[in-house]
Amino acid sequence: MDGDRDAPRINGGDYDANGVDRTQIREMLRLTPAERLLRIQELVESIMAIRKLNERPVR
Amino acid sequence: MSVRFGETLAALVRHEVDFIVVGMAAGVLRGAPVTTVDIDVVHRRTPENVTRLLAALGELHAVYRGDPRRLVPTESHLLGPGHQLLTTVNGDLDCLGAIDGGKSYEDLRAAASELDVGATHPVCVLELPALIEIKRRAGRPKDLAVIPILEATLDEVLRGSSSGGGSGA
Repeated sequence: MDGDRDAPRINGGDYDANGVDRTQIREMLRLTPAERLLRIQELVESIMAIRKLNERPVR
Repeated sequence: MSVRFGETLAALVRHEVDFIVVGMAAGVLRGAPVTTVDIDVVHRRTPENVTRLLAALGELHAVYRGDPRRLVPTESHLLGPGHQLLTTVNGDLDCLGAIDGGKSYEDLRAAASELDVGATHPVCVLELPALIEIKRRAGRPKDLAVIPILEATLDEVLRGSSSGGGSGA
């Protein structure tokens, strides 16, 4: 994946040839495993909150 | 129900359960920017370990997911190679007897290593190369879709390792 360095930058990201934003990975790798778990937990809770809101009957 | 994946893992550690975190939770713990709504673990299927796992699951009020009877997992369920899809007070937890065409805890142990996830003891987590191969063999669209992200994460980890940083694949 050495060619990745030539991949285009879109919206400030650093995308490789597969379209993976390497900046997100580097950001995750800067966290400890416990912090990574907390981050995903917060995301799941947000998704669940949105699901709950969508369950409300439409008036 | 609130989601507390760390608490789920801490309960398993507290009860001295032998297990390996697999699936996308392993990917997250290894640094991949992916999402998952549950924790998948492969547990050691010895009677002693299943007894400890049942104690942990009792503390977590684990019941079968989507089953209105709220059935609890039993020793015979957990001794088998099947997948027990559970929901707990801390979120969803899948206890997998075997994965990847029948691989058990013992088969996977060499491809996993310990990570500090904030519990009292480190937790055994599948390493990225094994996770990537398992996803490739599974071959479902949802598995194949995450492979580029997992591979890029492994690449970044290896680049970090070679420059003296990194946090283990």
